[in-house]
Amino acid sequence: MLKRLLLIRGAELSMFALLAAVPLGVKNPYVLGLLTLLAIYGVLLIGLDVSVGYLGQVNLAQAAFLGLGAYTAGICVTRLQFGMPASMLAAMAVTLVLGALLALPSLRLQGPQFALATLSFTALTATALNELEWLTGGAQGLSLTRPPMFGHLFAPRDFYWFCMLLLALVWVAMRNLLASQWGRAFEALRDSPIATDAMGIGTYRHKVAGFALGSALGGLAGALYAFNFQYLQPQTYVYELTVILLLGVVLGGRKSLWGAFVGAALVALLPNLLSNRTLFELISGVGFLVSIAAGVRGLMKKTLRPFQAIAPMVATGVLVFGGFLVKNTEDWRKAIFALMLFSVVVGLPEGLMGFASGFLSRLFRIPEAPLPAPSPLDEVLPARPAGKDAPILLELRDVKRYFGGVKAVDGLSMTVRQGHIHGLIGPNGSGKSTLVNVVSGLYTPTAGQILLRGQPLPQGSLFKTARAGVARTFQNLQLFTGLTALENVMAALQGVYRRSRSLPLVLIGLGRAEEKRAQADALALLEFVGLGSEARRPAKDLTYGAQRFLEIARAVARRPEVLILDEPAAGLSHPDLLRQMEIIKSVNQRGVTIVLIEHHMDVVSGLCDVVTVLDGGKVIAEGSPDEVKRHPKVIEAYLGEVEAGPAATPSPAAPATA
Amino acid sequence: MLVVDNLHAGYGLSEVLTGVTLTVKKGTVVALIGANGAGKTTTMRAISGMISPSQGKVLLDGAPVQSLAASRIARLGLAHSPEGRKIFGPLSVEDNLLLGAYRLLPHFFGFRAKAAPDLERIYGLFPRLKERRAQAAGTLSGGEQQMLAIGRALMARPKIMLLDEPSMGLAPVIVQEVFRTILRLKQEGMTMLLVEQFAKTALAVADYAYVMERGRIAVEGAPDELRKNARVLAAYLG
Repeated sequence: MLKRLLLIRGAELSMFALLAAVPLGVKNPYVLGLLTLLAIYGVLLIGLDVSVGYLGQVNLAQAAFLGLGAYTAGICVTRLQFGMPASMLAAMAVTLVLGALLALPSLRLQGPQFALATLSFTALTATALNELEWLTGGAQGLSLTRPPMFGHLFAPRDFYWFCMLLLALVWVAMRNLLASQWGRAFEALRDSPIATDAMGIGTYRHKVAGFALGSALGGLAGALYAFNFQYLQPQTYVYELTVILLLGVVLGGRKSLWGAFVGAALVALLPNLLSNRTLFELISGVGFLVSIAAGVRGLMKKTLRPFQAIAPMVATGVLVFGGFLVKNTEDWRKAIFALMLFSVVVGLPEGLMGFASGFLSRLFRIPEAPLPAPSPLDEVLPARPAGKDAPILLELRDVKRYFGGVKAVDGLSMTVRQGHIHGLIGPNGSGKSTLVNVVSGLYTPTAGQILLRGQPLPQGSLFKTARAGVARTFQNLQLFTGLTALENVMAALQGVYRRSRSLPLVLIGLGRAEEKRAQADALALLEFVGLGSEARRPAKDLTYGAQRFLEIARAVARRPEVLILDEPAAGLSHPDLLRQMEIIKSVNQRGVTIVLIEHHMDVVSGLCDVVTVLDGGKVIAEGSPDEVKRHPKVIEAYLGEVEAGPAATPSPAAPATA
Repeated sequence: MLVVDNLHAGYGLSEVLTGVTLTVKKGTVVALIGANGAGKTTTMRAISGMISPSQGKVLLDGAPVQSLAASRIARLGLAHSPEGRKIFGPLSVEDNLLLGAYRLLPHFFGFRAKAAPDLERIYGLFPRLKERRAQAAGTLSGGEQQMLAIGRALMARPKIMLLDEPSMGLAPVIVQEVFRTILRLKQEGMTMLLVEQFAKTALAVADYAYVMERGRIAVEGAPDELRKNARVLAAYLG
């Protein structure tokens, strides 16, 4: 634990201490200017990494937010005579609001469309800054003088320290955010937006909040930029900068504060280093050697595909030999950038820091932080006494869902009683999945009512339905594959997080205490389904059976009133099937009402109190499992020519007799 | 027909298969059963070239294919009907089937005429697909999609077919239908390697079976022997 803390925090502390000490030794104003720019770009790229890395969206608007922040600060200083702190706050407020306004419509879009929406925002901003001459000074630019702060006029050295201090504060705040429920939500919504909503986390609100926060950091960087250069020009904040910033994040490594910092260093320092011939040759030579070494090693160990190993060698090779042909490397700056980006994107898809962090943690064997002892299960999942009278919990009244002319669910009424395991069976295409999707809010019903405890259930929103007390699993598994088993459960955990819901409180680090509690609770639920020893394993590395168990643990973490299980036994082999039945039974014994869609008839017979049989979107039979199995319509439409009764196992004897 | 010798394969750094050896003789149906995570699907994927094995041999008709790309292996006559069906949802049923006829792809002209007999054969096997030939494949029910996946594999006139969990997510009555089809294909002389969770059903159609445990073959034998094997009985046949 101590070793982990020392290594990780130690690296951060020593870097900042080193950077802070530079001006004491180096008096060169040029170097100081570069390092100030590094701090400003650090803030900017950490902000950009929120959307590019954590939200997984290509964001081409960060340069615009830098410009908006810079101009806001500039105008505050020149027109309103604001001091530095007030101007910075104003810059952040303006970009926060504009970021949210941009995010609200455009984050409903996917992939390239989102990138285009942000690109048009950049175009709009650049034009507005240029044309609104009465406000911005137009193409002539805007001059300002750095105002004093608390009566103290900052010398370049003081301003450098100030920028570094802000970078450190932003760093710490983002670390707090990423280690909280928010950080997990960001990871989760990239892996499975549907499950994020179904677990009541709320995909959209997290995306918008994250994007607005990243934009506000862009605004802060903009204000610092304005105070640093003291002269603003609208042409600065256009596409070229946008692309270079994106390069910085990708080169440095997404989803990493260090990555953003390394990216900032590359973006801020590299253009200047490149103009120095010797340095350029050194950098390209080292890059060439590294790519050869990494490529050969990757090929030998078969961890890299051939093109991944060879392409970076070719690109850096071109860089080295091209260097001899070119007189002035600065003229070729963009081409050099392009080649470097190409090598990194192909050879190290995780960026420089993504590669280095894996390497360093193996080198130093950084141990994982220990887990707390699991909470008592009764606290996490209080057993609710199941009254024998079993009142109606969930009621469907004449629910319909049509797709064009296809009547997938066609006037269906049924009631689920509290504490029951209610089976739902029927042939493929009978409307089971559609019904589940309607009840859980994924689809809006064409007509009809759905009541939970007599109250109408929100319709057409997975998120709202989840909040109302309905949890579900998915036929085709919707785990947060990049998160560990423990984090999957923590992401869905209900009733632990209070402070962590508020973004400002999380940023200043007040969410920590709740994290420990959440770990303990989630661990208890993992042990409940028998996955206690797998807590640290990424969900994607679990066996198929364990993934099915984990999905149930995650849904139970919602403390739902109704738990809908969509084919929880599909694809499970016999031993896993038995274990899954045990899990479902024990969840039910804790008072959770379960709706179970399943094809395995012995699972249905072994677990269900009541079974409803669907065909053609309508109920064709309802009753106890035994009653249903003898029902002639059910045999005809569903079970086939198997003898009704105890012999109706999921293994049809038919092929042998055919 | 198909010989797999000491096959090792995995994803990234984790090795899933640790030496799988099995043989499928011409005209037989061989079943591969075992617990989840034992490596059945990975074996299938390694045989058909979807992942490349790190060690070991795959011989198709005596020729090594373990280092070939999946598309090459498919052209050599090995058709893989993957787990979860993986049909082309937005395309029509008929287009899905025609895509399976990659054997005919060099014939740019008269492609459809050349594929017609195969198409008729599939429609004879699955009359339901003929009824729905113009419908988008994604709108079919699960059972029909499974039939389409098998039909698409057959369009290539394969020498051997790999069927991965044809019963997954299907109603009992449809499972019976799918297995009747498999039995019919077997009677027509098709060679098949079958992965299946319903071990009893799989053993009912198979001539020989392998039981996988943790990345290797644990038990093998004719279905009758396996049914008598206490260990197999307890773990897989319930």
